[in-house]
Order: sequence, then C-alpha cells, then structure tokens
Amino acid sequence: MAEFLGATVAIAPNDPEHLGFLQAAAAGRFVLQRCAECARLRYPIGNACPFCTALEWEWAEVSGKGTIYSYEAVMHPIHPSFRDQVPYAIVLVELDEQRGVPTEHDGLRVLSMLVDANDRPESLERVAIGLRVEVGFTPLGDGLALPRFHLSEEAPEHTPWSLGG
Amino acid sequence: MPGLKDKYAIVGIGMTEFSRNSGRTTRALGVEAVRAAMVDAGLGAGEVDGMLSYHGNDSTASPTIAGDLGIRLNFYMDCSGGGSSIEALIGIAMGVIEAGMCSTVAIFRAMNGFTEARIGGTGRQRPVFTGTSLEAGIHGMNSAAQSFAPSFMRHMFEYGTTSEQVAHVKMAHSHHASNNPRAYYKQRISVEDVLNSRWITKPLHLLDCCVETDNGVAIIVTSADRARNLRQRPAWIMGVAGRVNKEQPGGYHWSRGPISRVAGVYGAPIVFGQAGIGPQDVDVTGSYDAFTFTTMLQLEAYGFCKEGEGGDYVSSGIIELGGARPNNTSGGHLCEGYTHGIGHIVENVRQLRGLADDYCPNWAAGEHSYDYTEGGCRQVKDAEITMNLGWAMPATGSALIMHN
Ligand SMILES: [Zn+2]
Repeated sequence: MAEFLGATVAIAPNDPEHLGFLQAAAAGRFVLQRCAECARLRYPIGNACPFCTALEWEWAEVSGKGTIYSYEAVMHPIHPSFRDQVPYAIVLVELDEQRGVPTEHDGLRVLSMLVDANDRPESLERVAIGLRVEVGFTPLGDGLALPRFHLSEEAPEHTPWSLGG
Repeated sequence: MPGLKDKYAIVGIGMTEFSRNSGRTTRALGVEAVRAAMVDAGLGAGEVDGMLSYHGNDSTASPTIAGDLGIRLNFYMDCSGGGSSIEALIGIAMGVIEAGMCSTVAIFRAMNGFTEARIGGTGRQRPVFTGTSLEAGIHGMNSAAQSFAPSFMRHMFEYGTTSEQVAHVKMAHSHHASNNPRAYYKQRISVEDVLNSRWITKPLHLLDCCVETDNGVAIIVTSADRARNLRQRPAWIMGVAGRVNKEQPGGYHWSRGPISRVAGVYGAPIVFGQAGIGPQDVDVTGSYDAFTFTTMLQLEAYGFCKEGEGGDYVSSGIIELGGARPNNTSGGHLCEGYTHGIGHIVENVRQLRGLADDYCPNWAAGEHSYDYTEGGCRQVKDAEITMNLGWAMPATGSALIMHN
C-alpha cells in the first residue's frame, strides 16, 4: 500500500486516471491528459476535454517547468499529516506549455508544496511569485510517485514578489 | 421566467442563539428556527406547505423538521451545499410556488458548526489521500482558508492590496456586532488587532477568518398576494442569481481565469438585470465574509468598485455603519456567527423592516437613535434596497436584491 506523510494513498479501482498520473511520475515522467480531438492539454484530471467535450485522451509528457503564479504559506496545519511539515508553502505553478490558452488569463496550473533539494518543505524566505520552478518526484511506494515542484536555477520570469513578514 | 420582480417576498425570519455549545441536535435547532420564522410571519402550521434546506451531511431533513411542527408538505427538497446556497434556494422557492407546487416555503439551515461538523476540519479525519485530494490535499491544501488563500495573494500581487486594507472588514463587522445582542463576538476589534493575530496561512491571520458556531436560521418566502396580508412588512425580491460558476476544470477554482476574479462577475448581469438597478442604488450589502478578503472580492465582482480597487473600497469607511453603504450590519460570519449565508439574508430583512434588533430600547417599534457607538444602534437610516452576495468559493457565487 502506498503511503505519504503517515496517510494511505488509495487509488480506487475505477480511477485509472490518477493511477496513470502517479505511475508515470514513478517512472520520472510528468504527464498530463491530452485531448484526442483538439490536442489541448488539461489539468486537473478530468473525464472530458473542457475545451471541446471530447472523451478520448492520451497521456502526454510535458517539461515540468513553470512559474509561480500564486502561493500561500501554511502556518497552522489542519490535516494531521502536515503537523510536522509547517511552515510550508503551497505554490500554484503555471506550466510553460499552453500559456495564455484559451484566454490571456489562462494556463495549465498545478498545485504543489514547494520543496527543497531534500524533498522537505522549502524555506518560506525563498518563495515568491514569478520564480521559476521545476518538477521532481516524491516516491509514495507501490510503484507510485507524487510530482512536486522545487525552485529552479533559471532566472525569474519577472521581478519576484512575496508578502514577506 | 422573466418578470418575477416584486412577485415574491420574504415574510418571516427566525434564529436560534449563536453558541459554541448548543447541546442540542440540528433537528432541535431547525425546529426552533422554522417555528420562530412562522411566528414572525404570523403563519400557522397549516399555512406553510413547502420546505427547503441545505446541508453538508450535518443537518436534519425537511420532513422531520416539518413533522415535528405538524406541517404537511406539498413540496420539499434538501440539497447539499454551504455558502451561496441560500440565495439559490430563494430562487427555487419562487420557482416552485410559480409552478403551482406549493404556496409558502420555509427555508432553513441548522448546523452544529462548532461542536459537530467544523468547516475548517478538526484534524481528526482518517488520513487517506484518494481521488481529487491527490491534486490538492496531498500537497497540504486541506481547508477553506488553505484553498482560498492563493486567490487573495494574487490580488495583493496584482493590485498592491494589503492585509491592513482587508483588516478593515473585520474592524467594521466587529463594530456592527457590538450593537447586535445576538452576536457571538461583540468585542470591537481594531485593524492592529487583526494584523497582530497569529497567522493561519499567509496572507490570512486568525482574525481574517470567520467564527464557527452552532445555530439554526430560517426564512419564509411566499407570493405577493399572501405576503401583503401577513404580520410583517414584506421584503420584496427584486432579483436573484443562484450558484453562478466560473470555468473550473476538475472543480478547482484555481484552474482557470484570473484567480482573484470571482464568479460574481457572471452573477451581476443576471441579478441587476432582473432588479433593473445598479450597484449605486444599493443601500446595504451583505457580502459573504467567510474571510475578510472574500467580502472584498465579491464587492469588486458585483461592481461596487472597480476590479483591483477593493482594498481601497473596504478601507474607506463606506462599509461601516454610518458610511455610504454598510456591509454585514449584523457582524456577519466574522462576528455574529456562521450560518452559511442565511443569517445575512435575515439581517437585510431586518434592515428593510427598520427593525434591526439592536440596543435601542424601542427598536421593536422601529425607533432608532442612529448612534452607532458601541452598545448602540445598528439600523441603517432609510434603508430601501439591500443586496446579498453569496460565496461558496472563488468560482461559485449567488446574489439577491430586495427592497421594502
Ligand atoms: Zn478537446
């Protein structure tokens, strides 16, 4: 049984989408659903294409690179698994693929705890909107892994902004 | 169904006390609230024949509440939902009466929001990550505050909005609550108090977050012909928008559009179009205050200020009693108590009646001092049009406009 932070990771037998996503990550591949009709990528996982309603899709590997679009710094944990993780940042990453689609305000957005080189919560002093990030893979056991993002070596996309304090 | 303006009204309101230790079932809370609304309206058990409720598997269903009160129903529906449900249900009540399915509908929300089902979670849930929690929960996003915070952070980034500006929402609502004998938190809170309270998840302090309480609240909706013959001055429904959504693939509000632009942008043309008015005509707002900034984002979305200028709007004094357009004169979810929005409807009905139950000795006779200092009045002078702005999350909202 897969586990993460003391919690069970349970993929239902009727949920091949999440299974495929986490199995690909265990093989070091960050994949998204790509519509078989209009070829647009989508995230989060869904059962139809939100751009053309087509049901058919396939996995497509993407670069796993993106920019922090927004974030928060969790100080007070609710879920028991995160009690020894605080403080930690959750980042909303806008991936490099499909930016500005279907409108200038859209893109492929992925949530992640921002982690450091040791796969532990990154220091809050280092998180900011505009910073470049890339994906890594946290093993969950049982042939599964969780894609999570860390800061990349690339220059920021724009002047970094953070709340501070 | 065009043209329902002024054909329906809210004619009864009822509330239990707001507590953190009700010691009673949601059944008992719901029965007390519905009965209070019937007594308020002057309606007997034989005159209520419809019932609606909303819940998160934490309430008691309509047939049980009605049965306890000896009400035989011609229509009922209990639906899943939290914030923004009430405005939608008022629209549904109008629709089922219009369809001839029943004539007078009680709508209630009964919840032990502190002692039983806490919205923010209790940390006692069995730790399992499965299904859609593999996209958010497993990354540490497990509460309403954690889910909404990035929307506010992005607003701060794009528009320079500050914690200090939205803290004025808590300050204003706490001042209103200090004149509400029913409010759970009556103490006046300063902007500094908010900024000095501990972080929950940056950019949200403890005092940016609403209170969790146990309570039951009910309202009664009926048609114009019946409304005119009841005990109270009707609060006439001018327009309603129910559970309007933004695009949200996967059901996640952060997945599309500018994340600090909330669903109200789609609700505004619906509700203002029905009412035939604009935001400038509204005297009192009840903008859902699950958090300080949710009030601000909705006021922007419904056009009370320009997008990005919500920080200036909420810190300008406009939303305070004595200001040009007070918001949540009861103290709202931040101070009065958490009702998933129905308490905000009740408060606006009180305002339209001129019967805010404040500390004015003869408020019940409509005599108010309009002295808004602590322990005084909370009636808005000459309130004629009110608006409720319901929130479920950034991608889901509702609205209701009423007049007296
Ligand atoms: Zn497609």
